[in-house]
Amino acid sequence: MIYMDNAATTKPCEKAFEKARKFVTEQFYNPSALYEEGYALQSELKKARSALLSKVADETAFELVFTSCGTESDNQAIFSFARRGNAVTTAGEHSAVSAPFIELKNRGVIESRIAPLQKDGRVDIAKLLSLVDQKTSFVSVMHVNNEMGAINDINEIARLVKQKNPRVIFHSDGVQAYGKLPFRLSRDIDLYSVSAHKLGGLKGVGALVKRKSLNLPPYILGGGQETGKRSGTENVFGIKQFEYAAEEKFRHLVEDGKRLEGYREKLCSLLDTEVYTRLSPVDGTPYILTLSAKGLRGEILLHMAHDKGLLIGTGSACSSNAKTRYNRIVLACGYDEKTADGTLRLSFSTDTTEKEIEEAAAILNEIGRDLKRRMA
Amino acid sequence: MEKVIIIRYSEIFLKGKNRGFFERALETNVHRALKGFDYQFIKQSGRYFVRDFDQTQTETLIEKLKKVFGVHTLSVALETASDMDSLFEAAKLLARDSGTFKVESHRGDKKYPLTSIEVSRELGGRLLAHSKGALRVDVHEPSFTVRVDIRENGVALVFTEFIEGANGMPVGTAGRGLLLISGGIDSPVAGHMMAKRGMTVDCLHFHSYPYTNAQAKEKVVQLATVLSEYACGVNLYNISVTHIQEAIHEKCKPELMITLLRRFMFRIAERHAEHIGAQCLITGESLGQVASQTIEGMTSSNSVVKKLPVLRPLVGFDKDEIIQRSVKMGAYEISILPFEDCCTVFLPDFPAIRPKLCDILREENKLDVEGLIAEAFTTMEKCKL
Repeated sequence: MIYMDNAATTKPCEKAFEKARKFVTEQFYNPSALYEEGYALQSELKKARSALLSKVADETAFELVFTSCGTESDNQAIFSFARRGNAVTTAGEHSAVSAPFIELKNRGVIESRIAPLQKDGRVDIAKLLSLVDQKTSFVSVMHVNNEMGAINDINEIARLVKQKNPRVIFHSDGVQAYGKLPFRLSRDIDLYSVSAHKLGGLKGVGALVKRKSLNLPPYILGGGQETGKRSGTENVFGIKQFEYAAEEKFRHLVEDGKRLEGYREKLCSLLDTEVYTRLSPVDGTPYILTLSAKGLRGEILLHMAHDKGLLIGTGSACSSNAKTRYNRIVLACGYDEKTADGTLRLSFSTDTTEKEIEEAAAILNEIGRDLKRRMA
Repeated sequence: MEKVIIIRYSEIFLKGKNRGFFERALETNVHRALKGFDYQFIKQSGRYFVRDFDQTQTETLIEKLKKVFGVHTLSVALETASDMDSLFEAAKLLARDSGTFKVESHRGDKKYPLTSIEVSRELGGRLLAHSKGALRVDVHEPSFTVRVDIRENGVALVFTEFIEGANGMPVGTAGRGLLLISGGIDSPVAGHMMAKRGMTVDCLHFHSYPYTNAQAKEKVVQLATVLSEYACGVNLYNISVTHIQEAIHEKCKPELMITLLRRFMFRIAERHAEHIGAQCLITGESLGQVASQTIEGMTSSNSVVKKLPVLRPLVGFDKDEIIQRSVKMGAYEISILPFEDCCTVFLPDFPAIRPKLCDILREENKLDVEGLIAEAFTTMEKCKL
């Protein structure tokens, strides 16, 4: 089985799993306990916090709060800071951002403003800036688009936004970027969401990176863990496994990116252009290749690929239950419904091999031609 | 004082010499519904008792029994000694704090020192005095009724409610039918209605993987599971019609896709019905609901069924009525899950609403009907519920 749906989730890193095993079998204590076995774990959490944070940000200016997932991090950021006036986001956001925006709009808390996307999946910066004014309290722009693979230059966007209104709180969903792109947060960014399971960690572990000087009101109240910002007994094993998995990923970040970019381009070049059109940009993340088999349905190709041993996505796995059939992000990029209906997303991991790329191309060509013939 | 569930059955008591057959089926179905629980089952003329069960599970047991066809009403009664003091203790527990009431008594034990009327009067008087004015007697339209059933050997049952049962006839007493089940609202309701008349129901589902997905299949499994709770266990068979649809798409007029496909489905269903010993086909068709459910559409699909009757219990129902029944049986929430159940990629923009048999036969002649059916049967799988 060839797995190419790594943007949905990726295989947990076994090496990290083994290294963290003792936090299940031996050091299973509650880090808030008053005996040494318990509170000794605080230093383990501190190490993890520091290791994970230092990969993307200056530890003197930023801190990291552990959460249960990227969605929780996004929700905490939005519900804590999008509290008055208007809030601006993009048409390309994951539903973990777009749904809270809709909720706050429906509650009458904010006026929600949505910036359109360019054809390549990046936000149209000029239009985004035109939506920011003196009443804007919050701006959220995703770092890497999970459907299109497009990369937004969030440091630059944050700078321009703050230039227009310095009081804005700027958030970015970095779930598809963390551990995959060489990047450091500028001081214009206030909040940054990350998730463990996209880079070899476990589902159920995430984090919200925040600027230290920003006072983050708690979203989950209770025992006062995470210095009161996020209560709930810490998932020590999950956090340590996340730390070790991230270490593995960040060690070869640049080389891995280059290799996968080569694979992505190779796969693209092997595809039958009579069937497939590339949607994702050349300068997007090396980890995602989005295609459209225009006139065919992506979901049918997904099933056919599955039967040939290739697992792919038709878009965000989280939104495949949505009542709307068409990929909303692809539509937001300005493509027509037929293109959106034929969307396929192939997403890679550092485990992806060149042989798999070749096999995947062969399978996609075979099923694409087959379905095209059957539907003719 | 112990809680006892009283089960009263419906039409069965009208039966004559074959009454035993119906009673045995009902007993079997009650045991099936209560599988996994500890209880004692006692038969009496015209009713059954369930006792010695875990009293905290009473609600769960009642919910299970409410799905057994053939049950007219249910009551949760307190079993107590039949002396007046004990009856009063039980009645106190069941009486509401305020409102109007009456007491109805029935005396199975004719040696009991008081008549039924005297029991009602005495017990009513005591309840009235005990309530210190909060309760009033109203024998015509009381807000609740305390019912006393004095049985032989010094035991009595006291209860207030008649809980409506599923009515109908016990499943297993009216043959076997094969339901053509989709993922929609109608077909599970059709199956439910036939099971209500005592029919054992098996289900046949047509899918068109890879054009439809695994969730759509899973949805049908869930619907069949809901139906199964009423129909005392159903078998679900899945057959792929992908190649049939592709052949129609390739060779025939697009507006006849649905008409031709349905003729294949009915042919396959009849053959499968005969194979499993089902005596009829059941569909959820309702006249005029969609293009293929016109009388012409029904005639065209019905004409390929040679031996068995096709029962369409919903034929005269409005969609609203069907939805109400679907909600009541607990299938609606599953039916409206957004998975497509029949291939929509081959659907024509304008399906034929009044297909003519001569056109249909001409188009069908372009296809290897027998070959396609035989091939479809090779995809048959029996699903686990």
